[in-house]
Amino acid sequence: MKKYAYYLSCINEAMTKEVDKSLEQWEKDLDLELVKLEQGTCCGGSNLDYVNPDEFLVVNGRNIALAEKLGLDMVTSCNTCLLSLRRAKDELDRSKEKREMVNGFLKREDLEYTGKSAVKHLLWVLNEDIGLEAIAKKVKNPLKEYKVASFYGCHILRPSSLLGVDDPKAPKSLDQLVDVLGAKPVKYKSSNQCCGFHTLLVAEDESLRIAAAALDDAIKSGADYIVTPCPLCHTVLDGYQKKALDKQGIKGSIPVLHLSQLVGLAFGYTQKELGINRHLVS
Amino acid sequence: MTMPEVKEEKREITFRVYRFNPQIDASPFYDEYPITVEKGITVLRALNYIKEHIEPRLSFRSFCQAGICGSCAMRINSVSKLACTTQVWDELAFADRENVILVEPIANLPVIRDLVVDMDSVVGKIEKYFGWVESKMPENQMGKKEFNIAEAEFKLYDAATDCILCASCISECTMTKANKEYITPAVLLKSYRMEADSRDAVHDKRLGVLVSDNGVWDCTHCYRCMEHCVKHIPIMEAIHHIREDAVQKRGLSDTPGAKHAAAFVKDIEKKGRLVESLLPIRTNGLSWTVKNMLPMAFKMTKKGKTPPPPFMVKAVPGIENLRSMLKELKSRGNSNHHK
Repeated sequence: MKKYAYYLSCINEAMTKEVDKSLEQWEKDLDLELVKLEQGTCCGGSNLDYVNPDEFLVVNGRNIALAEKLGLDMVTSCNTCLLSLRRAKDELDRSKEKREMVNGFLKREDLEYTGKSAVKHLLWVLNEDIGLEAIAKKVKNPLKEYKVASFYGCHILRPSSLLGVDDPKAPKSLDQLVDVLGAKPVKYKSSNQCCGFHTLLVAEDESLRIAAAALDDAIKSGADYIVTPCPLCHTVLDGYQKKALDKQGIKGSIPVLHLSQLVGLAFGYTQKELGINRHLVS
Repeated sequence: MTMPEVKEEKREITFRVYRFNPQIDASPFYDEYPITVEKGITVLRALNYIKEHIEPRLSFRSFCQAGICGSCAMRINSVSKLACTTQVWDELAFADRENVILVEPIANLPVIRDLVVDMDSVVGKIEKYFGWVESKMPENQMGKKEFNIAEAEFKLYDAATDCILCASCISECTMTKANKEYITPAVLLKSYRMEADSRDAVHDKRLGVLVSDNGVWDCTHCYRCMEHCVKHIPIMEAIHHIREDAVQKRGLSDTPGAKHAAAFVKDIEKKGRLVESLLPIRTNGLSWTVKNMLPMAFKMTKKGKTPPPPFMVKAVPGIENLRSMLKELKSRGNSNHHK
C-alpha cells in the first residue's frame, strides 16, 4: 500500500469534480491510499505569490505541514497547485529566516514546516512510485482503439528548476502512461504548449487563440482524444473548446480526458463512473 | 611509449535551413545542406561553413560568436537558442529526422531575410515602457556627485542586467504569439530592472504603462521565457515583482489583472477556498460577465459543471486559525520578498 496526503484543488472541488471522482474509483486497484487534506486551503492559483508573497508562504507552508504531520508525501492532481506548492517548498527549504517566519504562525495549529514531505503530481506518482509495469498489470480494457494526444500543461513542466521530472522541450511521462494503458500516443507539436487558462478572464481573446492553436494541432494530428494531467487545461480545452475554435473558424472537435479518467477507462470503469458525461465536448 | 591514435569523430549532417527573401520569394521554403561535421562544432560554425562553401546568399546575424551579443538567436530543432553556443552533436538527440538539424529564424518577429528578423518592434516597446533609468539627480549635480546604490539593491536586478536582448524569450512567448502588441518578456524584464533601481525618477509613469492593456497582466504564467532564457535569468520572477510593486507599493489595483489576483487573496482569507462562481464578476464586473459568460454558464449547468454559488462553498475546517495568522501577518507588513 502506498499512502499519500492528497491535496484538494479548488477547481476539482467545483468545476472538475470528475477528477477526484474517477481517481476514487481506481486508487485501490493500485494499492494507493490518498488521505484527503480537508484542512488544506487554496494554493493561491499562481496569483497569491506576487500579490502577497509572505501570505503565499504561510498558506502553502501550512498546506505542506499538514502532510508532514501525517508523515506522508503530498500529491496533487492540478499542475498549478503543484507549482505553487513546490515554489513555496523551494523558498522555505532554502531560507531559514522564512521557515522561522512561517513556523512562528504554524505553532498555533501545532504544525511545523520542516521540509520532510515531498510534493508530487499524480502523474509522477503513477510513473515513478507505482511504476508503469504495475499499472500495465491492472489494465483490463486496453485502449487499443484510442489515438491519444498528451497535453502536459505548463506547470508540470516549467520551470524545470522547480519541477524537473520531464524535459519541458521533450516531455515523455504522459505519453509513456498512454502507451502502457494500451492506447496509441500521438506525436504533435503542441503537447508542451500553454492552454491559456491563466489569462482567460484578463485577456480572453488571446487566451482563446492560444487554446485554439493547441486544439487545432491535436485535431490535425489525427488524435481521437486529448489527455491532460491538469484540470485547468481541461477547463479551457473542453469547456471553452467550441468558443475557441468557432472564433478562429476552425472546424472539428476533440474530446478531452483527465489523466484519472484515461487510467479509469483502461482499468475497466464506465464513462459514467468516471464522470466523462460531465464534459462539454463528447 | 607510443601515444594512442586519437580518432576524430566526424559525421555527415544535413542542415535543413529556413529560406525566405520577401522581396523575391512568394513564400518561405527550406534548403538542405549536407556537410561533414566534426564533433565539437557549433551550429554557428556549421552555418558559416555553408555560407562560405555552398550558399553565399544564406543570411544570418552573428557578431561576437561567443554567447555575449545575442545576435545569433535562432530556432534550432524548434527551440530558440544561440547558434554560437549550441553544439551540433548535442542537437542530434533532438532531431526529428536522423542526422538532420532544423534551423529557423526566431518566432514572433517579422523575417527580414532567411534567419534575420526585424527587432524594431522590440526597440519600440523598450521606448514605450521606459526601458531606461531617468535620473533622480538634479541636473546641476550631474557629474559632480556619485550616485551610489547599496549592494542589496543591486542584487535585486543583478540577474536582469544579464539580458543580452537575444529575443529567444520573445520567440518562445505564448502571449506574444497570440498578440503581437503584447509587451514581451524581454521588455518586461528590462522594465523591472529599471523599476527596481532607486536612482530612477519615473517609476509611477512606467508602472502606469506596464499595467495598461497588452502589459504585465497579460502574461499567461507559462514560464516558457524563463525556461528558454539563454542566460538563465528568472524572467517570471521579474514579472511577478512588477505585479507586486503595482499592487502593493503603488496601489494600482483597478485593473482586471489586479482584481483577479485580489479575489484569490480575499477568498483564501475568508474561506480558504476559491469562490469560482464569482471570479468573472470580481475580475471584470457584472455586465462583462453577463455578456461573455452566460452562454457558457448555460452549457455548464446542463452538464452539472457550474461552480457552486458562494453560500455553497464551505470554509475549510480550521480556517479561524489561518485567518488569525494572516491577520497578524498583514499587521506586520510584508518583508522584502525580492531576491
